[in-house]
Order: sequence, then structure tokens, then C-alpha cells
Amino acid sequence: MKPTPVRSSVLNAASARPNRIPIAPPQGYWRLAWRSRHGDQSVLLERRAVTVNVGLLGAFLLASVLYLSLGSVNVAPMAVLHALFGKADVMANFVVQELRLPRLAAAACTGAAFALAGILMQTLARNRLATPGIIGIDNGATAFAVASIVGIGVSIAPPAMALAGATTAAVLTFGLAAGSGTQGYRFIVAGIGVGAVFGAVTQLLLARVAIDTANAAYPWTVGSLNARPSGALQLLILGLVLGLITALMLARSLTLLRFKDATASGLGINVKRRRLEVLLLSVALTGLAVAVAGPVGMVGLIGPEIARSLSSSRGVPITAAALAGALVMVLADLAGRTLLAPIEIPVGIVTAVVGGPWLLWILMRPQRSFT
Amino acid sequence: MLLLLTALVAVSLVSLLIGAGSVGPGRAIALLSGAQDSEAHFIVWELRAPRTLIGIVVGMALGVAGALLQAVARNPLAEPGLLGVSAGAAFAVALALVLGASAATLRISVAQLGALMGCVCVLSVARFRGVGNDPIRLVLAGAAFSGLLASLTSLILLYDQRAADEIRFWVIGSLAGRRLDDLLSVLPSMLVASIIVLLIARPLAALALGERVASGLGHHPNLIRWLVVACVALLVGAATAIAGPIAFVGLVVPFVARAFAGPDIRRTLWFCLPIGPLMVLSADIVSRVVVAPSELPLGVLTALCGAPVLIAVVRARRLPML
Repeated sequence: MKPTPVRSSVLNAASARPNRIPIAPPQGYWRLAWRSRHGDQSVLLERRAVTVNVGLLGAFLLASVLYLSLGSVNVAPMAVLHALFGKADVMANFVVQELRLPRLAAAACTGAAFALAGILMQTLARNRLATPGIIGIDNGATAFAVASIVGIGVSIAPPAMALAGATTAAVLTFGLAAGSGTQGYRFIVAGIGVGAVFGAVTQLLLARVAIDTANAAYPWTVGSLNARPSGALQLLILGLVLGLITALMLARSLTLLRFKDATASGLGINVKRRRLEVLLLSVALTGLAVAVAGPVGMVGLIGPEIARSLSSSRGVPITAAALAGALVMVLADLAGRTLLAPIEIPVGIVTAVVGGPWLLWILMRPQRSFT
Repeated sequence: MLLLLTALVAVSLVSLLIGAGSVGPGRAIALLSGAQDSEAHFIVWELRAPRTLIGIVVGMALGVAGALLQAVARNPLAEPGLLGVSAGAAFAVALALVLGASAATLRISVAQLGALMGCVCVLSVARFRGVGNDPIRLVLAGAAFSGLLASLTSLILLYDQRAADEIRFWVIGSLAGRRLDDLLSVLPSMLVASIIVLLIARPLAALALGERVASGLGHHPNLIRWLVVACVALLVGAATAIAGPIAFVGLVVPFVARAFAGPDIRRTLWFCLPIGPLMVLSADIVSRVVVAPSELPLGVLTALCGAPVLIAVVRARRLPML
């Protein structure tokens, strides 16, 4: 192993105090060491995780610039960078700042939230198919959000209703599958059933109202970034930041939750409590994201898959999954806006067309462990 | 059986009497007992009677197709709607419309072709690497497959406004506004399918005992399978061509029929004949009444009562193998 400058500083620190034996970082890790008032501190960073996160971030930034520059009016990439600071011509400024930037923010945040919710749910259920979209939580949130728009007696803001819907669907799915555990395919099919009921309820609600109201609610039923309710995005950003921080705090427990319950609790985790926290976090993220973009659940499957295939199997790749989800969502919406222009394909359809074969492939390849 | 037939007659009568419009049960009864009422005459005989007939035929076709598919896949969850057969039919029709066909002439054979493709796809997935050995995995594959086809269909509809206008009301599954001509045009293929079903009922019962036993009794398992697939495609394609994709009927009907008939596939098939129309007609009546004066897509109601049955089957401690 090549000695790195960081490591040599550790060695120097150790040689100053001979009773400390320097520990080489495990293979594939970087050790960041520094001195503070409380003594020597060090952090182990997995090299591969760092590379993956940086790479995904770079890809995401690249995709964002593309997203801002392509469309019915093309703005050159350099002009985009200028327009971001308000230094391009008026037209480019307007298109980039007023039209595309909010939509880019919505795409990135919903993608990250869906993917984060997906990887949390997969880890929780120890089942890689158990994403919120597949087990019906998206549909529950959609049904409730549509209900708030068409106004069945209650008129609460869509995000609150979507949260309530996501919670209801989660309770139903987990309750109905209670006897069979979450690992088998039974859990998933029970979730598909719950999702079908909520899908039908959405149709029922849409059939009851006048055509204009139904049109206003239509984006929720397929998943689109075109009609974002005001205020929902701000709530989502807040939720996403809090959710990411919480997920990173839970990361260590998540790594252990992948093992059997007995193993995990033997290693010192309060399994039930952690499960509940992870479930709540996942459901909340799904609800907030659905309130912005409707059910684009496939991102919750694709994002974690990408992150997992890039990362090592040591931990749960939380940030990588969120970044991959944001990347996928931005690319999907970009494709939806530009491929068949002037017609716009809702982003939910793009992700379904891409994600469907992926799901089939997961099902058909030889069985491995599910996390 | 007698009870079921009586119930079917009663439901058909109710279907004639009740509707979203201004002609209530009272006026309809008066008409049936001989009163002169031209408006009621038009509504009952021109609108509701064809609709009831179509409901009966569609229910029979979907119920029998479900029972056949479950028997040949040996899987209580195999259902034309869930496995993507209906979605295949819908996709084929949308594709044909975009490629320039007109809705009036082509629809039925195209829908049947699409249903056949969907059927073959799903069953070959089922035989691939033992996915079919796990009933629930097969359903999952089917759900993924039909989700994919459904989004491709909506992509096509987005791309081509004319096609979208032609089949927008068809693609959600409904019995409203179908004419008797539609029914007449699918009858031949339905007849062919019925004859095949009558011929293969016995071999199918033997197949239920296992492939080797069936061969030992002098049947050809692969031939039977292909015939069943063709039958299912004919039936589901025809039903989808008239009424649009309707999910969950093929799941619920054989489920109920087995409860009446026991394990014998021949008896199950006979029981499916009244139970299928019962379900479709009841759902259709509810869909007319519940949001009057407008109507609800039929597929919504069948999903509402079918999904709980799906969950119940899945929750059963030991999944019944067929």
C-alpha cells in the first residue's frame, strides 16, 4: 500500500507518543486524521464510496447544465452559466431562471426523495422489490392528493393529504402482509393489491367531478413535473434535507438492519424502534415527493439499483442513491421534454418505460439475496 | 347452479330496469308489461338490452379465460388482466390505430393477436428459469409487463391525437355505448373458442394430475397448452375488443367457481359461465348508479372488488397449488 501524506502524518503523531501503535487503515479506505483540543481524531472514508459519490455528483451537474440548456428554446451551455448569474441576454435569463431552474429543482428533489425512500424501504423490508411505488404507497398518496384537489368535503393542501395517503397505504400494506413477513414475494403482491385499490379510488374521484377539475388533477395520476402546486416544493426541500440528515444518522443501524433480526439486535440495535423510524422516514419522503410530481415510483427502484451496483456491499449507499435518483429524474424529464417535442411526455411515463424492463430483468435473473 | 342461473336472470332484469337516465325502474316495468312509452322503449331496448347482452358475453369470456389460464399455469393467481394479456390487446389496438388502421374494421383480430402475444410472452417468462414455480413471482412479472405495456400505450396515445380520440373511452374499460354490431362481430371467434374448450376440457383435467400422468393417459401436454393459450387469446382478445381491458374478473370468477365446484376443472368451467356475467353485470349496474348522471369505468369497480380477493389469496397461509 502506498503511503499517503495523511497516513504519514498519523505516523508522525504516533511516533511522538511511543505508547500508541499506529493502525494502518483497512484496505480500500482513506483515513483522515487531525488533531484537535480533545486529542487525535480520525475518520475512515471508503475510497469507492467517495469516488462513486463524486462521480454521480459530477454526472448530475452535467445533466443539470444540459437540462437548463435544451428545450423549445436552446441556450448554449456557456450562456446557461452566465444566465444563472443574470449576466446573459434577457430571453436567456428568463428561460433559465424563471422557467427551467424551478423545474430542475423539482426534478432533482423529487428524484432524490423517491430514491432515498426506495432504498430505505428496501433495506427495511430486506427485499429489493419493496419500493414505495411497487407496494402501493405512491398510489395511496396520489389518491389522497387528488381527493384534496377535487375537494371531497375537506380542502387541505395536497402535501398534507399526500402524507396522510402515504401513511394509510403503508399501514394497510404492512398490516395486510403482517402474517407473512416482508421478505417474500407475498408482501409485494399484497402491496400491488393495495396499490390497485387506491388506483381505482383515484379514478373514482376523477370520474365524479367536472372535466376541468379532473384535468387539473390529471398530472398526479401519471406523474408529471408540469403542474407543481405552489408551496409543495419548498416543503419537499425542507423534508429532503431533514430526511438526508436523519438517514445519515441512521446509516450505521441501516447497515446492520440488513442482517437477521436476531443478529441485528445482538449487535446492539433496537430493531423495532429503528424499523419504525426508517419506515416513517420513507413514507414521509414518498408523500412529500408525490405532492410535487405525482407517482413516479420507478425512480425509487432505479436509483437504488444504480447506487448499489456502483458501490461496494459494505454499507447502504444512502447519498449515492439520492444522487442517482436525482440524476435519473433529471435525465427522464429532459427526455420527456425534448424527444417528442412539441408534445411533452409526462416524466412518469418515461420512467415507467425505462424501469419496466429493468424490473422484469430483476425478476428473471437467478435469485440472489434481496438487499 | 340453479341458484346461480336464477341470480343471473335477476341481475339481467335489474340491468334492464336501472340506469343513469330519467327512465327509472317504474317506467321500465310498465314498458315490459306492455305500456306505450317511446322514450322508455328506446332506452330499454336500444341502449340497455345490448349493454346487458354484451356484459353477459364479456363476463363469460373473461371468467372462462381466467379459469383456463389458471389451470394451464397451475397458478391460482394467473389472470388475463394481471398477467398482461389485456394490456397486450390494448397495446396492439393502439399500435394498429397509429399505423393507420381505422377503429371500425380491424379491432377484433388485432386485439386477439395482441392478446396472443401477451399470453405467449408471459407464459414463456413463466417457464423461464422456474419463475412459474413460484406463483407470486409470476404475478409480479405479469404486473411489471402490463405496467410497461400500459405506459407504452399511453405514449402512443400522446404521440397521435387522432388515435387518442378514437380509443380514449375504450382504453379504460367500459360497457357504455357499445353497439350490438360489435357483439355480432366477435361471436364467430367466441364460438370457435367454445368448441375448443369443450374438446380440451377432459385432457385439461388430466393435465391437472401432472404432465406425466397426462401423457400416460394418452394426451399431449404441449398440444393442450398451446390450444389453451390460443383459446385464452381468442376469448380475452374478443372481450377486450368490445369492452376494453377489464382486470381482475378472471381472478375473482374462477376463485368463486372453485368454491362451488371443487377441484375438477370441468365443473369449474361450467360454474364460470354464470358467475362471470354475474360479476360483470353487477359491477356495470353499480357503475351506472353510483355517480349518476355520469358513469364510472367498469374496470375501476372490478379492481375495487378484485384487489381484496387478490390479497386474500396471497394471505392464505398455504398458497393453493393447482
